Formats: sequence, structure tokens, C-alpha cells
Amino acid sequence: MENFNPRIVCFSCKFGWGYLDPHKDSLKGVTHWVPVACSGKIDAAHILEAFSKGADGVLVLVCPEGDCHLQDGNFKTEAKVFLLQRILPSWGLDSRRLRVIAAMNPDGEKIPALVRDLAAQIAHLGPARLFADSPAAGQEAEPAAVRGSFSASW
Amino acid sequence: MAQKPKVAITWLGACGGCDMAVVDLDAGLLDVADRLDIVLWPVALDFKYKDVEALADCSLALAIISGCVRNDEHLEIARLLRQKAGLVLALGACACFGGTPGLANFSSRQAILDFVYRDSPTVENPEGTIPQEKSLVNGHTLTLPAFHEKVRALRQVIAVDYFLPGCPPPPQLISQAINAVLAGDLPPKGSALAPRRALCDVCPRNRKKPARLEITQIRQIHEVETDPDYCFLEEGILCMGPATRSGCGETCISNNMPCRGCFGPVAGVEDAGTKHLSALASILRTEQYFDLAQLVDTIPDPAGFFYRFTQPVSILGKAALKMHPLDKERP
Repeated sequence: MENFNPRIVCFSCKFGWGYLDPHKDSLKGVTHWVPVACSGKIDAAHILEAFSKGADGVLVLVCPEGDCHLQDGNFKTEAKVFLLQRILPSWGLDSRRLRVIAAMNPDGEKIPALVRDLAAQIAHLGPARLFADSPAAGQEAEPAAVRGSFSASW
Repeated sequence: MAQKPKVAITWLGACGGCDMAVVDLDAGLLDVADRLDIVLWPVALDFKYKDVEALADCSLALAIISGCVRNDEHLEIARLLRQKAGLVLALGACACFGGTPGLANFSSRQAILDFVYRDSPTVENPEGTIPQEKSLVNGHTLTLPAFHEKVRALRQVIAVDYFLPGCPPPPQLISQAINAVLAGDLPPKGSALAPRRALCDVCPRNRKKPARLEITQIRQIHEVETDPDYCFLEEGILCMGPATRSGCGETCISNNMPCRGCFGPVAGVEDAGTKHLSALASILRTEQYFDLAQLVDTIPDPAGFFYRFTQPVSILGKAALKMHPLDKERP
């Protein structure tokens, strides 16, 4: 799997991620980027649809706690992601293929790095194929969400 | 006197509950039998498949088919009735969405055979005998239908005109459906012959629902003494009502059992599981964000819970079926 480059779909909140980037330079290096107005709009079905259409990993970028422009869309989407992480192993998909990050990056400069980071972390799992990942692997003590590793002041 | 419309009622991979729901029409069944000519009903009457094969194509007014499609016999009968019937009604959750048998799609065919005939604690099978499609007994070849890799809903093998979900569907809706066919008073093809709204809209417990629903602790029905007038979700009991089609007659709800989702998603929704999941995600509440992951961990068998009746027709369920094309499975 050394040369395997996972396809990552990145959903992000427009209010917290990349809105200050007039030329969308932050898009560079991100092939499948879906910015939406409030992460609460990201449906669980969109995430599963991404997997069914060939995504190897899905990255969901939401605003930090208390910073949702529309009250609590970030909280709802995090809950959706946590629930999806619990059902993915039943489909034979490792739950590490789905990651949510609660932070803020108006410039969007961090987005390509975060996508690359997820790709690097799941590269050893190989392409996402239903019922191909070991069911136990998804249950490892991987943190369900990454938070606090960088501040909201970017 | 004009000839009575011909109807076939049959079961594929089913428990027979849907047929019992037809029997539950009670005296109404006599009326149905009076107005219709039943040409096939394996549960109740003695007809042979060859009698159906002898009929002209499209000579049946209606074929009512319950159950999922898991083996070659199911497939053959479904295709035969599609050929002979003008209208096909998928009756019950199994025919409409795959139903509870569809949960078998979380396993493989091999894993199922291994467990049922070898690994189950109650199995004594030292010779490792497993069912064969062909076996020789006293010089005669006996055959069994081929067991497919995956469970399919009826619409995934033949064109289905109307859907009547439920586990089982209530007799009243069956009666309405038959009358609608007889009167020619039918909605556009592809419709479900059931209300379009969600169960919460008609739930008798909805009257005492708080303005803002919040679940801080997930509990099972046997852990709580519920007030029969209060919303289950308010007490932390997972109920599928927000994302399930109404029309069932609220039998579970009025017997103090939360909705399990047998009527499938409301009109226009493709993946029932994700809608249940999103509805639940929107009412989970914890003091700290960190506690959210722990809270969702208390849901037993989440995939089985969200996809209890709809696994084969869900987004990933359909993708999994594509990995096992039907025609390649057939000998």
C-alpha cells in the first residue's frame, strides 16, 4: 500500500473554514472539498454517499464549541459523526476513515494539511471497500474527534 | 357476468406475518373472495405454480408479494408473477425494504452457513453437512434453490408498482389497497399506499412532548416505567417515530413499545437509517462535548438499530449489493 493515495472528501463549514480566502487558494491540494453554510447542513446521508461513491476517507470540519453561527449545527454534526463512526464497522469500514475536527481556520490554509494528515493516517488501511476492513480495527481507542490540538485564533 | 379480476398472493423470504394480516381482514376476506378470483395463495389455498405459469401474460390484475428475495426460488416466483400480473404490490417491510432478514447483509453467505450448520452452540454436525443445491439420494437427484450472497428487496429484482410497508401491514391498509385496485383509484406508480407523514405527527404521546426534546441518557424500555402519555424520546428511550412513515395504527406506541421503524422512511427519503440517525443526533445533549461520544456508545448495536428494516435499500446496502450481481450468482 506504499503508493496508495487515499481519496478524501472534505466537508467544511463556510463560517469557520476558509471564508477569508478570496482566491480559494486553500482549495489547492484538496480535490474533493464541499464547503457548506453551517456544518449542521452536512447530512449523515452525504457522508455515506461519499463512501459509496469511492471515498476512502471523509473529513468533517466544524466550528468549535460555542462558535456555531447558527446556534448548534456543529454539535449536531459531531453527534452524527460519532453515531456514523459506530455504524461504519458493521459495514466493514474502519471508523478511522471518518474524522471530525472542531476548530476554526478562516484563511483555510490548514485545510490541505488536515486532508493530507487524514490520508496519511488511513493509507495503511488501503482503499475503502465494504466489508473489507477488519471489524475489530475500527474499535481501537482512536480519539473519536480531534479537538484542542490547535486554537481557534488561527 | 364479467369475469372477476384475478389476484395472486404469495410469500418469498417471509415469516408469514403478512399473509396473516391478509387473513386478519376477517369477514372482509369473504367479501374479497367474492369480488376477486384468487389464483395463488400458498399459505391458505392449494394451487400450484404450474397453474400460474399456464396463465397468459398480464392476465392477473394484481400480484401481492410479501417477503425478501434470498434464493433462486424467490427470484423465479417474483419474476413469474411480474410477467403474469398487471400490477405488483410489495406487501410488508421485507418486500418493500428487505426487512429484518436484510440485517443478514451485515454478514456474508459463508458466515451464515458456518454459524447455522457448524458453529452455533446448539448444532451437532460432526460430518459438516451443509445444504447442497444438488444431492443424490437413492439414485435420485434432489435439488434446493441456490442461496444468494445477499438479501434483496423486491424492487431490486423486479419492477414494483406499489408498496405497502409494515411488519405486518395493518389489515385496514390492505383492504384499502385491494379496494383501490378494484376501483382503479390508484396514486402514481411507485407510491406507497400509506400516509406520507411521519409517525410523530399522529402519535398520541406527542401531546405531552416538551417544547425542546433533549436526551441526556439513553435507556431501554425495560429500564423505565413509562407514562403512557409521554413521548418516549423525552424519557431517553429510542423511538423511530420522527423518521418513520405513519399509517401503522400506532399499535406499538399504544402498547407502550417505542417505534422500531417497520413502515420505513417517509415519502421522498432514500436512506431511512441516516434520517433516524440525524433525528437522534439533533436531540442528544451532554454537559461537555467530550461526553457525546460516551453517550452514543450506550446505544446497543447501532447499525442494527438504525437499519432494522431497511438495510438492503440503504445507501451502503445498495453499494454492497452491486458487489454481488444477481445474474452472476445464478448457475
